[in-house]
Amino acid sequence: MKGAERIEIDRRYCKGCMLCQYVCKYEVFEVGQERSALDYLMPRAAKLENCRVCRLCESHCPDMALVVVAKKKGKGKE
Amino acid sequence: MNPLGEKYLRKDFLPFLFCPGCGNGMITQAFLQAVDDLGIFDDLALTAGIGCSAWIAVYMHADVLKVLHGRAIPAAIGLKATNPSRKVVTFTGDGDGLAIGGLHLLHAARRNIDMTVILVNNQIYAMTGGQVAPSTQAGSRTQTTPYGSVEKPLDGCRVATAAGATLVSRWSTAHPKQLTRAFKKALNHRGFSFVEVLSQCPVQTGRYILGSGSPSFNLQWLRDHCVPVEDPARMGEVEAQGKVPLGDFLEIQNPEFMEEVQRMNREAKEARGKGGDR
Repeated sequence: MKGAERIEIDRRYCKGCMLCQYVCKYEVFEVGQERSALDYLMPRAAKLENCRVCRLCESHCPDMALVVVAKKKGKGKE
Repeated sequence: MNPLGEKYLRKDFLPFLFCPGCGNGMITQAFLQAVDDLGIFDDLALTAGIGCSAWIAVYMHADVLKVLHGRAIPAAIGLKATNPSRKVVTFTGDGDGLAIGGLHLLHAARRNIDMTVILVNNQIYAMTGGQVAPSTQAGSRTQTTPYGSVEKPLDGCRVATAAGATLVSRWSTAHPKQLTRAFKKALNHRGFSFVEVLSQCPVQTGRYILGSGSPSFNLQWLRDHCVPVEDPARMGEVEAQGKVPLGDFLEIQNPEFMEEVQRMNREAKEARGKGGDR
């Protein structure tokens, strides 16, 4: 099954609109404690293990600040 | 940052000046995805007028003309006429493209010039503070219609179709994959292509017309009120329910303006070579 290695949120550009949290079907995100460079509360990928790499959050990010990095195929077998 | 942004945006201009939750960034991303898939970024020439959506073009590291309010399409026509090899794309808003620049849209569509117009419809004049726009739904309360608008909205897709555009689509920011596909079709199309994008504006449309300034509420409003239709003949049915039909409404091939001009020049030269003006 597909999984995410990490979800990068660029703190220079995030405006804390939380659309990523809203569009996510797997409840990966929550409102974090960290503030972005523009002083908005940023989302945090709290349940990363739920992520299925559908990239809805990535395509809905209005500031192009979010990147989902997928796990590499066959990792752990090598 | 998104790899598309790393590759194609002017980093020194970032972050976007758009409000939190604005749809313009999503349109930028969908457009860059389409351009990246087609590999035509170096051929792009963008024009933009005035308005929130016109800033989309400015952030891209391509050749950009930022011109007077409403005059993005004439600038694009000039660009195309002087260098037909460029992929000319105009970013315009509903005020820019349907109100002050409305006639330019009609005449560019009538001539079938090979260019793409991306009209971002947020149903309000957002940059100037939330005044009524030609695309505002009847009954909406805005800054200039505090008791509700009594005007019927103008449908950009129908206007473009009637004027002679050869590719007409409408999608919303709640459908980013379909939007990317529509941009790809429009960029590949030979002739005047018109893509209307319904976009959320939480700060103006959301607060004044829909009743909430929350980005998620506005995105959900688009999801609830936009209905993709396969057959353009069903547009009326969807509109009768108070919803907005989305889809690829028209795709036909007609003689293109610059090709016709070049043909005319060639024929005139040949005629002169035979000894007559005609």
